Amino acid sequence: MSTRDVTLDHVSIRFGQHTAVNNALLNIAGGEFFSFLGPSGCGKTTLLRCISGFIEPTEGRVLIGGKDMKRVGPNKRPTALIFQNLALFPLMSVADNIAFPLEVRGVGRKERRKRADELLDLIALPGVGDKKVYELSGGQRQRVAIARALAVEPDILLLDEPLSALDLKLRQHMRTELRAIQQRVGLTFIYITHDQGEALTMSDRVAVMNAGVIEQIDDPLTIYEKPRTPFVASFVGETNSIPGKVVSQSGFDVSLDTALGRLVGRSAGGRQFASGQDVVLFVRPEQLMLDPGGKIAATVVKEEFEGSQRHLFLEAGNAALRVSRVGGGAELMAPGLAVKLNFDPGRSSVMPAAGA
Amino acid sequence: MERIKGIFGDFVGRHGLGVAIYISASVLVWVIVLIALPQVAMLDYSFRHNLPPAQIGGPEDVYTISNYSYFLFGNGESFNALDTGVLFKTLFAAAIVTFIDILICYPIAFILAHSATGVAARMMVLGLIVPFWVNEILRAFAFRVIFGATGLVNGIGMGMGLWDTPVDFIRADVALYSSLTYSYILLMVFPIYNAVEALDRNQIEAAQDMGAPWWRVHWRIVLPVAKPGIASGATIVFMLTAGALAAPQIIGGPSNLWFTQLVYQWFNDASNWQRGAAYATILLGSCLTFVLLLMKVFRVPIGAIGR
Amino acid sequence: MSAPATSGRSFAVFYSILFFAFLFGPLLIMTVTAFNSSSFPRVTPWECFTTEWFSVLINNDRLMQGLVTSIFIGIGVVAISVPVGLAGALALSEINPALRSALYTVLITPVLIPGVVLGISTIVFWGNLGRSLGGGAQDLFFNGIFLTIVGQVTFISAYAMLIFSARLQRFDPTLTEAALDLGATPGQAFRRILLPFLRPAIGSAAFLTLLASFENYNTTVFTILADNTFTTALASKIRYGTDPSLSALAVIIIAVTLIGAITHEAYTRRREAILGGAAARSALYTNPLGRIVTHPATIFALLVVLAGFAVWKGSQHEAAECKMQIMDEKRANQERLLEEQRLRMQQQPQNAPQAPAQPGTPPAGTNPSPFGGAFGNVAPGASAPAPATPAPPATTNPSPFGGAFGNVAPGATPAPAAPQPPPQPPADANPSPFGGAFKNIAPAP
Repeated sequence: MSTRDVTLDHVSIRFGQHTAVNNALLNIAGGEFFSFLGPSGCGKTTLLRCISGFIEPTEGRVLIGGKDMKRVGPNKRPTALIFQNLALFPLMSVADNIAFPLEVRGVGRKERRKRADELLDLIALPGVGDKKVYELSGGQRQRVAIARALAVEPDILLLDEPLSALDLKLRQHMRTELRAIQQRVGLTFIYITHDQGEALTMSDRVAVMNAGVIEQIDDPLTIYEKPRTPFVASFVGETNSIPGKVVSQSGFDVSLDTALGRLVGRSAGGRQFASGQDVVLFVRPEQLMLDPGGKIAATVVKEEFEGSQRHLFLEAGNAALRVSRVGGGAELMAPGLAVKLNFDPGRSSVMPAAGA
Repeated sequence: MERIKGIFGDFVGRHGLGVAIYISASVLVWVIVLIALPQVAMLDYSFRHNLPPAQIGGPEDVYTISNYSYFLFGNGESFNALDTGVLFKTLFAAAIVTFIDILICYPIAFILAHSATGVAARMMVLGLIVPFWVNEILRAFAFRVIFGATGLVNGIGMGMGLWDTPVDFIRADVALYSSLTYSYILLMVFPIYNAVEALDRNQIEAAQDMGAPWWRVHWRIVLPVAKPGIASGATIVFMLTAGALAAPQIIGGPSNLWFTQLVYQWFNDASNWQRGAAYATILLGSCLTFVLLLMKVFRVPIGAIGR
Repeated sequence: MSAPATSGRSFAVFYSILFFAFLFGPLLIMTVTAFNSSSFPRVTPWECFTTEWFSVLINNDRLMQGLVTSIFIGIGVVAISVPVGLAGALALSEINPALRSALYTVLITPVLIPGVVLGISTIVFWGNLGRSLGGGAQDLFFNGIFLTIVGQVTFISAYAMLIFSARLQRFDPTLTEAALDLGATPGQAFRRILLPFLRPAIGSAAFLTLLASFENYNTTVFTILADNTFTTALASKIRYGTDPSLSALAVIIIAVTLIGAITHEAYTRRREAILGGAAARSALYTNPLGRIVTHPATIFALLVVLAGFAVWKGSQHEAAECKMQIMDEKRANQERLLEEQRLRMQQQPQNAPQAPAQPGTPPAGTNPSPFGGAFGNVAPGASAPAPATPAPPATTNPSPFGGAFGNVAPGATPAPAAPQPPPQPPADANPSPFGGAFKNIAPAP
């Protein structure tokens, strides 16, 4: 076990009656880029603050490098947190900010300055040490915050939606940058975000959270392709959900009756369903194809053009369906047109209906 | 006790032991030794007889309500119309002064928050503060210069032939009310300003856009936002006005006393501290009752004051 | 711009002008009276331009003694109430919301409690404590300066607390968390992050508490006991009669305030220009000469030099000649009045006492009011008419003359010694407003 491992051992966090995190159980390997993805209020920030030591878990243990972190304050843990608003000290220069962790550990002025300059080189911002924080641009501040966190020489870097304040272009650039820094320094990064794009592009593994519960932990591709719960299927990416009743199941293939007729889908997570059970079939819009020989009959409501993609909105058996296609080429389809659709059952997921 | 321990523990966790001790000790001394105990002592004192120092603590030193009954009935059986009248007049006048201040200050607070910008706004703030820095005594004095028999108003009035013997503005308490109104303007403007400033200017424009006349915009949009500020300012101004001592002493009419002057007289002229304490208690009690009553009527919490 | 908006705008301008006229009018009038040689502060009639009231002010020993006491008390109050107020603000910002509003109510009440109540409760409480402890405590707890500091701290701390609370509300608590996360101890985070953030508030709290302490009257007049602060001395001076040296004091305060305000404005603008970055930097701030000229220190120095020049110039001013002239006029006027009175008394001797009660016949251009002041100043030669008219003032001359007349009518005044015949400089201890005035007129006939 490396010192950079993090284990959450049945961690629950409650505030009075409210359960913010419910029985989280997971193991993050040293050097991994691990993301918590979920909507706001799902408990991911609470979990992060628990790992960094600002909150004690109500139940369960947090282990870092195999050691129980109970009653170890944030200033004593081998973690460094990058705050959502970065929390750079506005009254100090850039170099003083970066050297602050060394200052409080009693490192001499000369040595601190040397280390700060090294870190500025690492984040490719040499020579800005004497500037004030407000003189930097958003992206530069971002990198300074990372440099300051690295000055602690932590084993684990915790990032709380650090890119949310940046504009779109810069955000995309910083994703690449963050990943590059992570691979350069080899630390464990634990990243919190509600932006699936960020989670999917940067992470080795993603944990999707909802209402205090971790719903699925997998690599980004699996999360997208093989969601295990209705929440994951609908929260990560766009999807079509078609409710139905199970007719029969052979292996992973489930045959079900829906408003669109009898369809076949893949059982999510290899679940076994009983005949007549209420289920939902999830198909991504890009997996639904126009196919003259298809089984599903639908009517075009409208088609929208969005550059690289176009979105076709359809109505089939009182349900709304959505198909995504490559952007350029043919004319937009006219409303009222009757079409046939098809999909590969292997690229779909069948799950128990919510509440069932 | 457990609770206090818990709070202290929080302070230690947040700022360290030294800072936690500093905070807790300071606040405790402030609340108990400076605020609470003196009031209790005053209350206790107000129920005692005025005895020569040698007898204090002796067998004569017993509780009495004579100081309070004096306020109501004087020495005899009859109703003490003089002192109760002074109290009533003081509260009434303070309420009037407060009301005038609201009328004067609301527009300026609104202008400051929503019309003035940059240098003009800074200059206005400065203009509000400068008169406040001039000593309270001197502010009262200025109104004596203006309203005295030889003052500016009489000088101009008589010079223009509007009247030919000096009008006694001081006896009529015009000078006093003007001075009190003037003195606490700043304390009315800033709370209203703070409240009104939070109002999104778009709301006003939206209301105007929907065809509301200016008075309706203020009545329906601005005033509800300003209400806590007005309540806060009014409470402060009322308490300061009712508790004012310098201005009534300097420019009060010779026959119209302010209640604080009665308190002062019992203490300094009659050397009857016990009765003075009783009168001070009466002043405090009636002011607080009045303010709390108004806050209840207007549904404003006391926590809004000073914000 | 639409029509209603324009009319709203012009109303705003109009109202603001009215409002600030009300605000500055009294100060302006006071300023003017400070330079009028008339011994009662007034604008009309104008007598002579003079600067003598400034020296009268500075030579008032009682006031100056009070000033020293006030400064001493002020330092004590600042030293205690700033840290206490800070502690209060910190406690408020960090305890749980339910307790917070209760604590806030308790801490804000001293601001609302009438000052006289605070003063009384303070002396009663510490007096009791002193009596029961005895010995040295008794001396300390009956000391006016100690009691005043304690009494003022009770409510002035709340002012400081309000300033700190306002600043704390803008503090980002994640900064402290970041410091802790980066390895700082709670104490280190407090010293290195929170205190530096609060520094500007500490400055303004110190300033405001000093001012509040200096200004306070209602509490201090009780707690100071036999002693005097500047403000209580000032108040008792005004209660027993006024002269324009008080206006002179107002002028000094206003001047100091304006210098401070202008310097502060220069500082704010400069700071804004620098913080605004290169785009906001006007040519004025980039040009080296402009930088020096617009530097707050330069502006401050310039204003101080200007004020110093005004003081020097003022001290050179000699109003004696003008005043002689005025006095001659007054004397002539008075003799004429006396003459008229004598004539009238001869005509109707039985109505004599009423005669002076009708000053409705003075020559045009003379306000009935200067009468009182004139009497005071002409004292040496004119003591005769005074006793002749002792009764009527109350009906003829409304209250403000109480003081002025008092000096003419022996016995009615707390300090009757001052204006009596021998025109020698009065003793230093004399609080009479006319004491100083006399000094300057002494060489006159």
